Amino acid sequence: MADLQHFDVAIIGGGPAGQAAAVALSGHGLSIAVIDEQPRPGGQILRQPPARFAVQAWLEGRSYAPLKQLLARFQALSGITWLGEHSVIGVQQGSVMAMGPEGVTTISARHILIAAGCQDLAVPVSGWTLPGVYAAGGIQAFLKGQQLLVGSRVLLAGTHPLQLLIAAQIVAAGGTVAAVMFAQPRSAMIGALTKHPLAALRRAPDLLATAGALRTLARAGTPVLFGAKIEALTGNDRVSGAITNQGQVACDAVGLCYGFVPQSAVPRMAGAQMKPAGPAGGWACVHDEWMRTSVPGIAAAGEAVGVAGAAAAAAGGSLAGIAIALDLGLIDADAADRAARQPRRALLQHRAFAALLDAAADPTDHFPKPAGDTIICRCEDVDHATLTGQVSAGGSANAIKLATRCGMGACQGRNCEPSLLRMIAETGPGSDPGFTARFPARQVSIADLLPPE
Amino acid sequence: MSADRIIHGVVRGEPITIIVDGEPLACFAGETVAAAMLAAGVDAFRSDRRGKPRGLFCNMGSCYECQVTLVASGRRVRACLTQAVDAMEVVTRG
Repeated sequence: MADLQHFDVAIIGGGPAGQAAAVALSGHGLSIAVIDEQPRPGGQILRQPPARFAVQAWLEGRSYAPLKQLLARFQALSGITWLGEHSVIGVQQGSVMAMGPEGVTTISARHILIAAGCQDLAVPVSGWTLPGVYAAGGIQAFLKGQQLLVGSRVLLAGTHPLQLLIAAQIVAAGGTVAAVMFAQPRSAMIGALTKHPLAALRRAPDLLATAGALRTLARAGTPVLFGAKIEALTGNDRVSGAITNQGQVACDAVGLCYGFVPQSAVPRMAGAQMKPAGPAGGWACVHDEWMRTSVPGIAAAGEAVGVAGAAAAAAGGSLAGIAIALDLGLIDADAADRAARQPRRALLQHRAFAALLDAAADPTDHFPKPAGDTIICRCEDVDHATLTGQVSAGGSANAIKLATRCGMGACQGRNCEPSLLRMIAETGPGSDPGFTARFPARQVSIADLLPPE
Repeated sequence: MSADRIIHGVVRGEPITIIVDGEPLACFAGETVAAAMLAAGVDAFRSDRRGKPRGLFCNMGSCYECQVTLVASGRRVRACLTQAVDAMEVVTRG
C-alpha cells in the first residue's frame, strides 16, 4: 500500500459535478485531488477519446457545448491533482482509499465530495447474458471514447428517451440501428412531457436534440416503435436476434435502456443516509441545502443525489464547492449565499426537467418478464426461479444474498440489487434497505492492501 | 461478427499488438483492451457456470464482466478500463 497523501479536498468523480466543484473551489490555494476511474476527466457524459486519438467533430451537438466549456475550465485549473485510472474502494470521514495501476493509495482530506455519477439500470431478460448485449450507456461510451461501433445492426430497447440519442449517434457514425423499441405506449411518454410544458421549454436544447435525433433516424429509415416489448434475446455464442411482442428482430448487438441509477456503493459504505432514487430504482444520498450528506465532512453532488442529468450535476457541484469554501472559512455566509444563487436556481430548473424525464421514462410497468432460468445475478449465476423461491419465503435482500450468493460477486450487487428489490417489493408493502454496503467498493487484491515489505 | 472502428475523422495512436489467450491481436495505442478485443471479434471475456460465454456489459467499470488477467503482473483488471500497451499479454480465463 502506497504512502498517505494529504489534500484539503478530495473529489470522487471527474464528471460535471466534480469539475464544477473544483472550479468553484479554485482561487483559494487549496490542494484538491480529483479521483476517477477513467484516464481523462469528462465523466460518462463527456467520455473523452484517449489522449492518443485525434477526433474531429467530437460531440458537436448543441446540448454538449456548455459541458465542454466546463470541462475546458476544469482542465485549465491549477492546483488540481488528477488521479485518473483510480477506483475508490473505501471512504470514511477524512479519508479515501483508492486503487490505481500501481496499487492502493490512501488520501486524507478534510472535505470529501462524492460525485461518482450513475450507471445504467441492469435489466434482466432471457438471453441478456449473451455477448453482444450491452447496457445502452456502454454502447454510447464506446462511440464517444473509443470511437467504436459495437455491431453492424444494433437494437435499442427500453423505456428511456436517451436511446433515441444513442441511436442517432450510431447512425451518424455510419452504423445501422435495427429499431428503437420503447416498451411504453407513445402516449405515456409524450403525455408526461406535455404535462409541464414550461419545465420542458426551459430545456429546449435537449428537446431539440431529441427532435434532431428523430429526424436523423427517420432519414435512415430506422423504426422507432412504442409498446414494443422484448421478450427474449436469442443467439448461440452471441446475440443474433430478439423476440418481441411485435415480432422477431435480427441484430448483432443490443443496448438495454431502461434508465439510470446512482453509483451508491461509496456513500452507503461511508454510512451516509440514503433514499430511494426514483422510478428506475437505486439509492440517492440525502443532502442539505449545501449538498452535505449526513456524514460530517462528506458532501455529494451529481447523480449521487438522484439522477437528474449533467446540467443539474454541474449546478449541484458548484453548490457543493461553494459550501466547502464556506465550511473551510474561506468565504463568509453572505458571499456563499450570493454565489449560490445562480446554481440553486439552475438546480431547481434542471430537477424539474429531470422529474418530467423520470415520468416519461418510468420503467415500472414495462420491464421484460424474466424466465425461470434467466440469470438475475450475473456474477454468481443466480437465476430468477431461485430468487422467486427465496422472495416468496419472505427473505430480506441481505438474507437472500447469504442464502443464494445473489449480490455477493465481483460487481458487489450493482447489477442485481434493483432487480431483487423489485421482486421483494412485489410481494407487498414494506421497504427493504438492500444489501449492506461492504468494503471494498471495487475488487482489490489482498496483496495490494498489505503494507509494503 | 466484430465491432467496427469509426474511421472517418478519427486518427488513432500507432499500431500495436497485444496477445490475448496466446493469439496476437492488432490494435492501436490508446485503445482499451476491451475495444481491441471487440474490434478483433473476440467478444467472450469469460464463461459462466453453465459454460456459456459472457461478454462485456457496461463498459464503465461497474459490471466486472470484462475482467481479464494481465500475464506480466497476474493482476485481474477490467478490460474496459485498461489501456492496451504494445506486447501486453492478456488471458481471459482467470
